Amino acid sequence: MDLVTVNGLSKRYGGIVALSEATFSARAGEVHALLGENGAGKSTFIQILSGAVQHDGGSILVDGQDYRPANPDAAQVRGIAAVFQELSLIPDLSVEQNIWFRHEPRTLLRTVNRAEMRRKTLALLEKYNFPVLRPDQELRRLTLAERQIVEIAKGLAKDPRILILDEATSALPAREAEWLLKLTRQLAAEGRLVIFISHRMAEVRAIADRLTIFRNGSTIAVHEANAVSDNEIVTQMIGRHLDRLYPERIATATDRIALSVKNFSSGSRLSGVDFALREGEVLGVGGLQGHGQRELFQALFGASKASGTIELWGKPVSIANPRQALIGKDGIALVPEDRRGQGLLLTKSVRENLTLSVIRRFTENGLLSRQKEAALVKEMVDFLRIKAGTPEQLAGTLSGGNQQKVIFGKMLLTQARVLLLYDPTRGVDVGTKGEIFQLMRDLAAKGYAILFHSSDMPELVHVADRVLVMRNGGVAATLEGDRISEAGILRAAMLESEAA
Amino acid sequence: MAIAEQPVEMAQRPAEMKSAKPGIDWRGRLLDRAPFLVACLMLALIVAIYGSLQSGVFSLDELNLDTAAALTLMLAATGQTIVLVRGGIDLSIGGMISLGTVIAATRFTDDPSTTALWALAILALGFLIGALNGLLISLLKLQPFLVTLATWSILNGVAMIILPTDGGSVPGWWVSFGYAQLFGLTSPVWMLLALLLFWWWFRATLVGITIQATGSNEKSAFLSGVSITRVNVITYGLSGLFAAGAALFLTTQTGAGSPTIGKDYILPSVAAAVIGGVSLFGGRGHLAGTLIGAFVLTLIGNLVFVLHVSSYWQPVASGVILLLSVLASSVAEKAARGRVQ
Ligand SMILES: Nc1ncnc2c1ncn2[C@@H]1O[C@H](COP(=O)(O)OP(=O)(O)OP(=O)(O)O)[C@@H](O)[C@H]1O
Ligand SMILES: [Mg+2]
Repeated sequence: MDLVTVNGLSKRYGGIVALSEATFSARAGEVHALLGENGAGKSTFIQILSGAVQHDGGSILVDGQDYRPANPDAAQVRGIAAVFQELSLIPDLSVEQNIWFRHEPRTLLRTVNRAEMRRKTLALLEKYNFPVLRPDQELRRLTLAERQIVEIAKGLAKDPRILILDEATSALPAREAEWLLKLTRQLAAEGRLVIFISHRMAEVRAIADRLTIFRNGSTIAVHEANAVSDNEIVTQMIGRHLDRLYPERIATATDRIALSVKNFSSGSRLSGVDFALREGEVLGVGGLQGHGQRELFQALFGASKASGTIELWGKPVSIANPRQALIGKDGIALVPEDRRGQGLLLTKSVRENLTLSVIRRFTENGLLSRQKEAALVKEMVDFLRIKAGTPEQLAGTLSGGNQQKVIFGKMLLTQARVLLLYDPTRGVDVGTKGEIFQLMRDLAAKGYAILFHSSDMPELVHVADRVLVMRNGGVAATLEGDRISEAGILRAAMLESEAA
Repeated sequence: MAIAEQPVEMAQRPAEMKSAKPGIDWRGRLLDRAPFLVACLMLALIVAIYGSLQSGVFSLDELNLDTAAALTLMLAATGQTIVLVRGGIDLSIGGMISLGTVIAATRFTDDPSTTALWALAILALGFLIGALNGLLISLLKLQPFLVTLATWSILNGVAMIILPTDGGSVPGWWVSFGYAQLFGLTSPVWMLLALLLFWWWFRATLVGITIQATGSNEKSAFLSGVSITRVNVITYGLSGLFAAGAALFLTTQTGAGSPTIGKDYILPSVAAAVIGGVSLFGGRGHLAGTLIGAFVLTLIGNLVFVLHVSSYWQPVASGVILLLSVLASSVAEKAARGRVQ
């Protein structure tokens, strides 16, 4: 019998239809993938299942019994736990306090039994072979990837019968992502149902037994995983045929150096990075996660301190803060990793997010030209196909992938021609991914210079003209032409002999 | 179901992630506590100056006296600290303190049981009014600042209606509560210790952790199953309860009621907390810091007195100290953040 059966599920937010008559069913012991474009309603669906929001219409049956959780507690009582796309962690609590939040073992005085909590934490981490985490560390000191892992531990701590993973791999480095995939299979083998949401087809392929495809809030198709091709899935997801994910790589780099970085160092995280990014070039930055890629991007944008020299379009510059990085057409713009933390003002509208840092462009004689602003905003929303009810929708209420698109648009509007893209396709659906890659190539052809990091190695291999492989905070190798391959990047990232 | 039928591979532990260094992060812990340590340093400095100008500062008598002078503020600031950790602010405590003193000064009699009942009623009223604040904030989705500003005004008005000018009285045996001694320490010092004990217990309970978590990130707390309305009701309820307690203690010191005295505790209660390292953005802070902050603010008064300068210097000095504390915590915050990225 099916563990979960959903019929005619509907949910509206004001005028925005997030789900309309969606259906779904899944059994215990399977990994069930949920696929769909950005804004298709996947997160809304799991928020309803996990009690975070309530549906307007339709029915959910769990174990054949009516199920309508009023809050996340009610969902937990029925054995349903979610690993939320936006995470549900408390910055000021420690890792273990987060994992057991509201389910802490207690003493006679009704206080938290710390010793017992530590023991349970270690047992949990051990049981599922979690990557090393320090239980007493405060959450706000962790990287995004580490937080994601804590969120997974928090979900498992409830020993749920149904575990929902909403883009849980998107923030993880390759090895941790692989661990999670195996863990997912292990959980299914224990008889649990895992509902798995991801925009990475390879992952879905590797672990899903069945898959359900959403489009525009409705269920389009349900497949046995081994009875359907990638092409069919993508076509059903985006409603049209996608010819190719990666654009043709036409070399457009000129001899002009857009960004030259020499002896760039920052504490122990960056040591003597040298490279030159040319006009019209897409320069990839790869290597194992945590070898200085993040610090390089942050420091170049002026968000953290570093020593060394930077030249922009041949002129030496010093960038002490992001404001200085953004100045004018000769500036640098960044798409950051943590979009909710750094990139977006969640309580501001899509329009405001797009134009806030470039407000001067719409000002004439000290007056704001609303028409000019509206025209540019519309252009950007159409261009990136941002799925928002109106430009006034709050950024925090957009789906994850659409938030990423807003950040991208915001960066494009700054007119800076040196772009730092840190994982710009994280959480973005396949169709849009293809568009973003095409966009990157188009921008390069127009003379933009792009520094591009991706946690998904094939993206680097297929999109970048050259790839810098980072190791221990320095550039271990620069790969060009035929030498750009996943194997080549990994070899350079791990072997000392490849050092350049 | 081809995949499911394959033997399940157990998840292998991935290689250690880079930033998970072993050992205790001493520097991080130090930076976290920097505002509190700065407050301790300030207190030490003030006590040292005070001690060099006045004899007998380092005695039990002085401790008893200063604690009595600071305890009303400490009680009010305890409630305020809970609210600040929740990420809110409570201005209504000013009204509650005034109201509490005038009720006591007009209703307390020589009969202990009547007085005890009224004292309990004042405490209950404090909790209920606070709870109402919390309910309004949740249901009307209004800023705590606005809601508690309004209730402050209302409570103030009610206090004026009950007792238009300072006056009334409380029985002598009630006043003597404020001076009772045990092992050489007066009741205010014991209450101070009780407050610390309360906090030590409270912040490790489910309610305490939930309040802190909600102040740290409300959305995450909600997704974890917290009822935000309930948290607000309890948080502001406790604040009202402590304000009522402050009022009762205050009457042991003044022996009378005052419909205006409460406003003297509103901003100082926030200042004491901030000096002690409680974050105005919620999620962070401890009562120990607040109590140190309350001592700092109280002793500034003493210092101004023994320096024989105009008493108007007291607010000036308090303001400077507040700025210094805020500066210290922001420097520490920046240093801590610089390390994380
Ligand atoms: N609180 C809200 N207010 C208004 N609209 C909302 C709200 N939450 C979600 N939506 C809208 O509902 C739609 C579905 O969003 P949802 O987050 O479920 O998409 P998704 O499938 O998870 O997309 P992604 O792959 O980008 O994460 C989107 O158009 C989004 O803008
Ligand atoms: Mg989503």
